[in-house]
Amino acid sequence: MLTWLVLSPLLAALVVAFLPTRRRELVLPVGILLSVVPLTLAGVVFYEFETAEAGFQFVQQAGWYRPWGIAWHLGVDGISLGLVALTTVLIPISLAASTKIERRLKEFVIFVLVLEAGVLGTFLALDLFLFFVFFEVILIPMYFIIGIWGSERRVYAALKFFLYTAFGSALMLGAIIALAIAHARQVGFLTFAYPDLLNVELTQTAGRWMFAAFALAFSIKVPLFPLHTWLPDAHVEAPTAGSVLLAGVLLKLGTYGLLRFNLTLFPQAAVDAVPIMATIAVVGVVYGAVVAIVQPDLKKLVAYSSVSHLGFIVLGTFALTSAGLQGAVIQNINHGLTTGALFLLVGMIYERRHTKKISDFGGLAKPMPIFAGLFLFATFASIGLPALAGFVGEFLVLIGSFPTLPVHAVIATSGVVLAAIYLLWAYERVFTGVPDREENKVLKDLGARELGLMAPLVILIFLLGLYPNILLDRTSASTEAILDRIEASSDFEVPAAGRLAGLFVAGDEGAGE
Amino acid sequence: MIAQVAAPSVYWTAIGPELAMGIGAALVLLLDVQFKPATKVLGRFVFFVLLVALGLTFAQHLAVDDIMARGTGDPAFLERFVPFSGMIVLDRAAVFARFVIVVVTALGVASGWKLFESLGRRAAETLALILLAATGFSLMAASLHLVMMFLGLEIGSIALYVLAGVTRERADSDEAAIKYFLLGSVASAVFIYGVSLVYAGTGQLGLGDVRGYLAGVVLTKPAVVLIGMMLITVGLAFKVSAAPFHSWAPDVYQGAPAGIVGFMASVAKVGGFAALIRVLLTAFPQFTDDWKPIIAGLAAVSMVVGAVVAVVQDDVRRMLAYSGVAHAGFILTGLMAGAAGASVIWFYLAVYTVQLVGAFGVVAAVSGAAGSRSDISAFAGLARRSPHLAVTFAVLLVGMSGLPVTSGFIAKFGVFQVAWIAGYQWLVIVALLASVVAFFFYLRVIVRMFMDDGESVELETPPLSIRSVLVGTALFTILVGVLPGPLLDLAREIIPI
Repeated sequence: MLTWLVLSPLLAALVVAFLPTRRRELVLPVGILLSVVPLTLAGVVFYEFETAEAGFQFVQQAGWYRPWGIAWHLGVDGISLGLVALTTVLIPISLAASTKIERRLKEFVIFVLVLEAGVLGTFLALDLFLFFVFFEVILIPMYFIIGIWGSERRVYAALKFFLYTAFGSALMLGAIIALAIAHARQVGFLTFAYPDLLNVELTQTAGRWMFAAFALAFSIKVPLFPLHTWLPDAHVEAPTAGSVLLAGVLLKLGTYGLLRFNLTLFPQAAVDAVPIMATIAVVGVVYGAVVAIVQPDLKKLVAYSSVSHLGFIVLGTFALTSAGLQGAVIQNINHGLTTGALFLLVGMIYERRHTKKISDFGGLAKPMPIFAGLFLFATFASIGLPALAGFVGEFLVLIGSFPTLPVHAVIATSGVVLAAIYLLWAYERVFTGVPDREENKVLKDLGARELGLMAPLVILIFLLGLYPNILLDRTSASTEAILDRIEASSDFEVPAAGRLAGLFVAGDEGAGE
Repeated sequence: MIAQVAAPSVYWTAIGPELAMGIGAALVLLLDVQFKPATKVLGRFVFFVLLVALGLTFAQHLAVDDIMARGTGDPAFLERFVPFSGMIVLDRAAVFARFVIVVVTALGVASGWKLFESLGRRAAETLALILLAATGFSLMAASLHLVMMFLGLEIGSIALYVLAGVTRERADSDEAAIKYFLLGSVASAVFIYGVSLVYAGTGQLGLGDVRGYLAGVVLTKPAVVLIGMMLITVGLAFKVSAAPFHSWAPDVYQGAPAGIVGFMASVAKVGGFAALIRVLLTAFPQFTDDWKPIIAGLAAVSMVVGAVVAVVQDDVRRMLAYSGVAHAGFILTGLMAGAAGASVIWFYLAVYTVQLVGAFGVVAAVSGAAGSRSDISAFAGLARRSPHLAVTFAVLLVGMSGLPVTSGFIAKFGVFQVAWIAGYQWLVIVALLASVVAFFFYLRVIVRMFMDDGESVELETPPLSIRSVLVGTALFTILVGVLPGPLLDLAREIIPI
């Protein structure tokens, strides 16, 4: 099942590649249609997922090259399930949002589908070698998506994106090799299987170095302050679909990696690193928000808001409490949906006006009431208004980090306030008032296609805001297992207030508005 | 009465491929004088010769299986395993080297097809020289004796000096040939001087004999032997273009005809590394603690210099030359693991040489087989003008850069792994960082091909031979990246004696 989930986008890419060149109009519809296959498969996996199970499900394993101990080894648990589903949802949407692409449409669709395969593989891989392969492969399609279909400074942005991430992952490769060799020395056989590598006993120094190498790779990906400088460039230059996928999916590789690998493979080092990581995360929350306030460019504003929101996720991760981890997992999904929606909307207005500058707009609510409404909705979801998805995640993160990191939690709360400032202020400047420019007065409101694009996101944002148990039920067993592991293999004891298993699973948060 | 003289039994199998290629080279010249055939005919004949050589290599592969299965108990063991009085060895490394050399030569001949056609009557000598170069370096890879090794080195190198200048009407081709010849001769001289010092110190020339001697005595003053060993290493480092002995590479890569540069660089690297592995692991295991730091230094300097200098190159061929320096460093990194590193080095050599020949095939298709300068601007917008060339080149460049799902990644991973186990973590970290720098210059070319519009010079479709080289090498790069098992297994059996 999972193998097909990873391979189906690749096969789809192959089909698209062999479409006749003259039938250009077929490319996009076929691509969108075929990207529904992984969506369906992911839906089945999501539905059949055993909620009480903490371990990996749907595991598939096949030797790749046995003497090296590398294997095709896939599995899904509560941490990756939501991200897999999110990826398969966002791909058809971002393809459908790409109707304005004129040049080399076929290659574009192929790259997006290859990207999907890479991302799904990264989330599902249970073999560190395989994980690294997927993690790196993603760079290639994304590099081309930014570099070919981006705006003016696209080549610069693409290169920056590539080199930043490649730098981080190079050191991670070293750590992966070191970890596997440490395992081979202790247990006697070489393997890269994640479940086996959990048993390695590392010295304090070795554990810290490896933690640092992994954390560096993932922090660049997240990106955490001060490693974030590639992100605004990449976002501003990328085409709409690129931005949606970058914010929605690619950044999650970093937060996913921290949660999946850093916490479990190096528990003691992770516990020791909590003050550093949490501080960096909070600095990111505040810094991203403050910088977002002064952005003159809508896309850059959303990009910096991502820096801020992802800081929340990392804070929740390193709070090491039930609510914190759950909040991190679910905020991953929420952020993907809300930021995806925001980037789509910015893309729609860009298609009409060919500018993203806030000062070029004003009073758009008059000619485009539906657009304005949707933008306000996405804004509220991003700020974390109760009843919408963003609220649940941020609330859980804050409540989860309070028992262990009270000061950080308090400072991070300001991020919510600042989010309200930069997003609502941007809304005010773009949409309210009387349109003073001629070109703004005649803008057409959203058409049926664009509404269709937004509809699934709006529904999901509502759904996860009102009934987050769909996700929480599936994640709690896995997050609890992570905490159990940390408590078992480090000197850290989760305070009683942070380990209220059962309280946050009951779905009270949704009713908290 | 005439005394019966027993004819010494000669184990011809041990040099089958060399015989085929050497005789083939002679026949090419003779046929040309006698019949003046068309270039096409000669080229096909060379392919036939290479096919025979490949068959004989396969026979050797089976023979090695047989030798290994019978073991040392077999009375004919020594005669077959180290035939010709121990001059040659028939082990898995020698056979693997021949596989690589024969295949790379065939790819080289195919991608130089247009060059041969443009050379007219001189095509025959060019083809003969190519076969001779392959013969020399494959002898070098199979030699177990320092003099034999030198012979192979010289047969191969001298052929390469001439090949570099084969398009002699172009000044930069002459320049390349002269530079290659002068610097190459110095390197050969250094090598043979090292050999003489080793002989002076040990009284032996056979690699096994040197080891035996060193194991049996305690040298109170090992300096002569050590210096000899280092000089041999320097000579070979020159051949594989490891920094700081790489200064010839960019000029030669740039000046020599594009069609065959890939071949020239590849066979020299295969022969050089084969000899280096043998000398260090077979003759001087006693001095492991002495040569390891030297090789580690060479590796680190090569990777850093190669990667950093390649970044500022505007000529794709010079870029490939410096990237070759970096690759030499990566391969040397594998040597840190001693005997355990041999198999990953051979795997690396196999995938890298194939990529290199393919890459120069693209360069030849873009800038002309005989042409020299391959400024990066010539590649601008290639994706639009010739999508297939651009995609192939991109695959090969990505493969060289060592990104996953290509053979290059598996090769690098293998090298890093053994070096890490051997305790050279610092070198692996240098290598990882160097490969990040390397991404930059490979990507630069990809950027120009895919993200620049460039001039609208239409490219003529390359001939079938070049196209098959390109498709073959690109497919190999991806296939080995996805399913490395068979090739890794083949390389894994290589255990240096």
